[in-house]
Amino acid sequence: MTEAIETQQMIDISLQVNGETWSGEVRAEETLLEFLREQLRLTGTKRSCESQVCGACTVLVDGMAISSCTYLTFEANGKSVTTIEGLASGDQLTPIQEAFIRRGAAQCGFCTSGMLISITALLKENPKPTREEIGRYLNGNICRCGAYVQILEAIQDVSGK
Amino acid sequence: MLRPFRVLDPKSIADASAELRKYGEDAKVYAGGSELLLLIRQGFVQYDYLVNVKGIPELSKLKWDGNSLQIGSNVTHGQMERSAEVREHFPMLQNAESLVANIRVRNIGTLGGNLCFGDPHSDPATALLVYNTQAKIAKKDAARSISLDEFFVGLYETALEPDEVLTGLDVEPLPQGVGSAYLRVARFERPSISAAVTASKKNDQLCCVRIAVGCVGPVPIRLSELESKVEGATLEEGQRIVKEARAHYSEILEPVDDLHGSAEYKTYMVGVMLSRGLAQATGTNGGS
Repeated sequence: MTEAIETQQMIDISLQVNGETWSGEVRAEETLLEFLREQLRLTGTKRSCESQVCGACTVLVDGMAISSCTYLTFEANGKSVTTIEGLASGDQLTPIQEAFIRRGAAQCGFCTSGMLISITALLKENPKPTREEIGRYLNGNICRCGAYVQILEAIQDVSGK
Repeated sequence: MLRPFRVLDPKSIADASAELRKYGEDAKVYAGGSELLLLIRQGFVQYDYLVNVKGIPELSKLKWDGNSLQIGSNVTHGQMERSAEVREHFPMLQNAESLVANIRVRNIGTLGGNLCFGDPHSDPATALLVYNTQAKIAKKDAARSISLDEFFVGLYETALEPDEVLTGLDVEPLPQGVGSAYLRVARFERPSISAAVTASKKNDQLCCVRIAVGCVGPVPIRLSELESKVEGATLEEGQRIVKEARAHYSEILEPVDDLHGSAEYKTYMVGVMLSRGLAQATGTNGGS
């Protein structure tokens, strides 16, 4: 390690998380997942594969689905982040959250945050996706319990297809 | 936790090149980060400095001018997938881009980063080869352009010198009426075998045949010798030629046994995929 990085580089940022502004310093190498879970204690976003394969840590940055495990926090400067905690307003769940409960679209629930965030992005881009389009969009969200059928049914409940 | 590093923010290609020259092996270009951060986390590489090129506007251009498609290195797979112009003029490339990893990687990962990483398991690398793509490279006081064939040197190795930056690509459209197909075997996040084919039929004879194969050996390759054998053949003859060329694939593609399959399986599948590719390319002119 060269001398230069014996002192940590801190970067000043300001961002919106679930509609609230946060300003402060973050470590250069800090991932958005670490920031959300450890700094803001928003633990609904799950840490799992840490290699962008499983989808458990999916959040929206300016409406776009990303893996927060492999996204540096400073990149979110000036942007708006939505996590699972930001979907509902108060006790009012979103239609896809309601449909998940109705369909029992989870077993252990570890993938659910990432699933709901990815589906939110999907339905915003494409409100009436075909079964194939759903499969293609969600091929990077893994549910090891295998609740895929119920997840698909929940999406189709909301999209009316 | 990632091992600590410092982020440098050059505002021009010359400045980025200067940082790379200054810090040598302690620095690496950071574009999308989806491959680089993964390797840092897994401990395969260590860098004290990431040269963040996201603040260099000219690297983000995606432009079709009627003659060629110019893609800046920072253009993401997602932008390629969603671009109406890429879809219209390069449907096969659009298809290959839409298959990269998953939506989250496509939203963040850049085409330039994918190519510079030099991973043999790349969808766009194979697809780009049949469009006679030029790689545009620059450093502090100089710029050059090379064929993408020459850009890939070996496993995770490219033709870039330590202080050079891949600035973008120039992609040539296919001649009018020539069809194309991208095929792959994919069981994991990255493709196991990939093939790109272009062809059209003139009086039952195949013409404008271009063939590229990727993932099988260390680098994606244009199979020019095979192309000239298939050129002028009927579709059925062409399909027989590509299926029977297994010895040629073993020699030229340098297949290895690995998690993706045995070398024997891969060379067999290349024949099958190229045969299907010729049929698809000639069946749907202009389509993918």
